[in-house]
Amino acid sequence: MTAVTARSGAPSLDARPRAHPQLVLALIAAGAVAVIALWWHGTPSVHGFGDWLTNAGRITGLEAGYAVVVLVALMARLPPLERGVGADRLARWHSMGGKYTIGLVVAHGLLIIWGYAVTAHTTVVHQAWTLLDNYPDVLMATVAGLLLVGVGITSANAARRRLRYETWYYLHLYTYLAVALAFSHQFADGAEFISNAAARFAWAALYIAVFAGIFWYRFVTPVGQAFRHRLRVVSVQAEAPGVVSIVIGGRHVTELRAEAGQFFRWRFLTRDLWWTSAPYSLSAPPAPDRLRITVKAQGEHSQALRELRPGTRVITEGPYGALTAAVRRNRKVLLIAGGVGITPLRALLETLPAGPGDLTLIYRVSNLRDAVFRRELEQLAEQRRAKVWFVAGTRDELGGDPLTAGQLTRRVPDLIHHDVYLCGPPGLTDSVARELLRAGLRRRQIHYESFEF
Amino acid sequence: MRRVILAIVTTAVVLVLLLSFKSHTSTSPLAPTAAAGPDPSTGSASTGSTSTGIPVTSSSATPTATSASGGSPAGAKTVTGDVVQTIYGPVQVKITVAGGRVTAAEAIQYPDGTPRDDQINAFAIPQLQQETIGVSTPDIDAISGATYTSQGYIGSLQSALDKAGL
Repeated sequence: MTAVTARSGAPSLDARPRAHPQLVLALIAAGAVAVIALWWHGTPSVHGFGDWLTNAGRITGLEAGYAVVVLVALMARLPPLERGVGADRLARWHSMGGKYTIGLVVAHGLLIIWGYAVTAHTTVVHQAWTLLDNYPDVLMATVAGLLLVGVGITSANAARRRLRYETWYYLHLYTYLAVALAFSHQFADGAEFISNAAARFAWAALYIAVFAGIFWYRFVTPVGQAFRHRLRVVSVQAEAPGVVSIVIGGRHVTELRAEAGQFFRWRFLTRDLWWTSAPYSLSAPPAPDRLRITVKAQGEHSQALRELRPGTRVITEGPYGALTAAVRRNRKVLLIAGGVGITPLRALLETLPAGPGDLTLIYRVSNLRDAVFRRELEQLAEQRRAKVWFVAGTRDELGGDPLTAGQLTRRVPDLIHHDVYLCGPPGLTDSVARELLRAGLRRRQIHYESFEF
Repeated sequence: MRRVILAIVTTAVVLVLLLSFKSHTSTSPLAPTAAAGPDPSTGSASTGSTSTGIPVTSSSATPTATSASGGSPAGAKTVTGDVVQTIYGPVQVKITVAGGRVTAAEAIQYPDGTPRDDQINAFAIPQLQQETIGVSTPDIDAISGATYTSQGYIGSLQSALDKAGL
């Protein structure tokens, strides 16, 4: 239900700052090393088994406290990250890092209990009770740890598939509560902070900066945009079974500097939908007074969009995404869409500068009835002298994967001189990207977007 | 799954490496200001100006010869050792000596202020005091888990025994 973007390849012509993914990872790693340096500096030396356990507990705890704030920062919609790393890669990092962080939190709790118990020659149970009862703010931190573990369990792939997106989303909000609850025990009990005012200052500054970023980019900016642009639903139109297009109108829409291929996060102010913002790609080039998105009903959110009334107020964040004309290097362009991944590519098909025969669209659907924009696409193909192929049917019906390197080379003459824009479910984008590399394309020729929930 | 195992193994290896480096660093358990010896010049030459701790004083250089009144054996005297600074705070011992042996010991200063200190002292101090009874030299075992407090205690005990003339 979610169209998010990752970019691979050529640098964009867009001059706004964008963070290079490797650089971002290097910065995160440097921070983790600095945290270890803080422990090293604050620890005289380690004697005996109890000390080993306790200090392992301290390191994992410090790193967990750092990791949690990095995870929040990844989701703070910081524009250089959104543009340079891309929302879908950020979400993947956040998800992987989240699981690791929960591991650190659990290890921290267990190691500290065990280490203190060994040192004090007491039982683990008694030590756990002493910690909860006597150590300041440890009770709050324990609640925070349990909340994080709970969120982790519900986010694990198996549980996630069974949960409604909406439930998962609500549960995820508890992580903010957990971060807040866990904060004070770090200063009250953390040996590295008790006697080190500079460390306390730097640590607090990091937390404040990240939460200020979240507040600014996820609250102030969208509210500002809402007042400036006063976006409202203009019309809702069925496109195919379960697929609707929504036209949103407002003032000064050009100031948003949205481009074909990009997406916004949309928050529709109805009683049922106001609390969540979901990312949907523009399915038509932005007009001076209106934007159009096209949504396939998969979760309750996208179901509810079908019942939107014209006049409903809309708050947006964005635009995001780098799947735009700016990343193109070659004259010839191949667009490959899977399912509702057609939306940003439909907008690109209309706007990418191209001569006759330069544009090719391959549209992969499991059933031709699910193909949206069929008439629009056919009209566009004619106007733009582009080739449009519908590839419908399951793999069984087609006798194998229709989008292999061989098939693509046969269908698209001169394939290796194309830029390829790819958008669809992760399985499809991954496999097609692999086949394109096998067909001889370079990584920087492939630009992709994948849908995740 | 492979990634999960890799993450766990990497983390564990990094932790073990860090901790073993740390257990081989031969930092003296005593803070730089610590001067276990009775020589006051050592204390005043201390570089640990950041320490707010009590200066090393030969506090009861006057061996408080609390006269052996009452049931105390003849010649029993009570001596207070030097204050020894550890990185967690000062440690100071008061002992009673009779017949060339320690008959009573009390830690009158030790690190406190955090629950962690309180918890460590709750088991370490009674054990140290217990060990001290009957000795004539400061050769007592450090308490595992309370290395710094033990070192401070032993240092202060040493000075007390010196003052008592043992």
